[in-house]
Amino acid sequence: MSAPVRIQEADFSQDEEIAALKAGSKRMGGIATFLGCARDFSEGRDVHEISFEAYGSMALAEMNKLRNEAIEKFSLLDARIVHRVTTVRAGDNIVFIAAAAEHRAAAFDGCRWMIDELKQRVPIWKKEITPQGESWVTPHP
Amino acid sequence: MIKVLFFGPIADRVESREMQLEFTPGMTLHDVVSHLGMQYPGAFGLVSFIAVNQTQVHDKQTLLHDGDEIAFMAKFSGG
Repeated sequence: MSAPVRIQEADFSQDEEIAALKAGSKRMGGIATFLGCARDFSEGRDVHEISFEAYGSMALAEMNKLRNEAIEKFSLLDARIVHRVTTVRAGDNIVFIAAAAEHRAAAFDGCRWMIDELKQRVPIWKKEITPQGESWVTPHP
Repeated sequence: MIKVLFFGPIADRVESREMQLEFTPGMTLHDVVSHLGMQYPGAFGLVSFIAVNQTQVHDKQTLLHDGDEIAFMAKFSGG
């Protein structure tokens, strides 16, 4: 079975991630997921591709820490975080986060917290490739 | 030696992803920041986070050790 926290070039399957999550416990009453995908328009410009770069070892360590903190903070039964680091086109998957809990509130809260924290804490950068040229993305709140 | 890593927009401005600096006993993070900051002022204006051996460091007086890995990073934009 794949690791619950991964950085990879290849696309991921939400069904497989959810199946892996469910395999761990039959006490789950709710699984909340977040799927981040590439937009074809940003800051008034068409975007053809988005290229990702990561400080791999630190990013993976921080994502593992983040998952452990989320499990503790929201009493989750399990959680998964997968982030692609490659060049993606509009519509492609970028990041998948899932939080499983006994009840929906903790699952929603844990999922939201993990994607918000990931954006703040995990050393990954994205560059948008547009007809006007390339530019690194300034973080969104 | 000290291994220095640059990522994202900082790597673009330095025009390099990695460099090695000679280690000298008593060397601090501040020494490295001021040395490289003078050479690449445009790149260092973008630095928001510094990590030593994959851990974020805020104290520039941090003493370095031979073989340390320092990363200079702009604001993150993953997700």
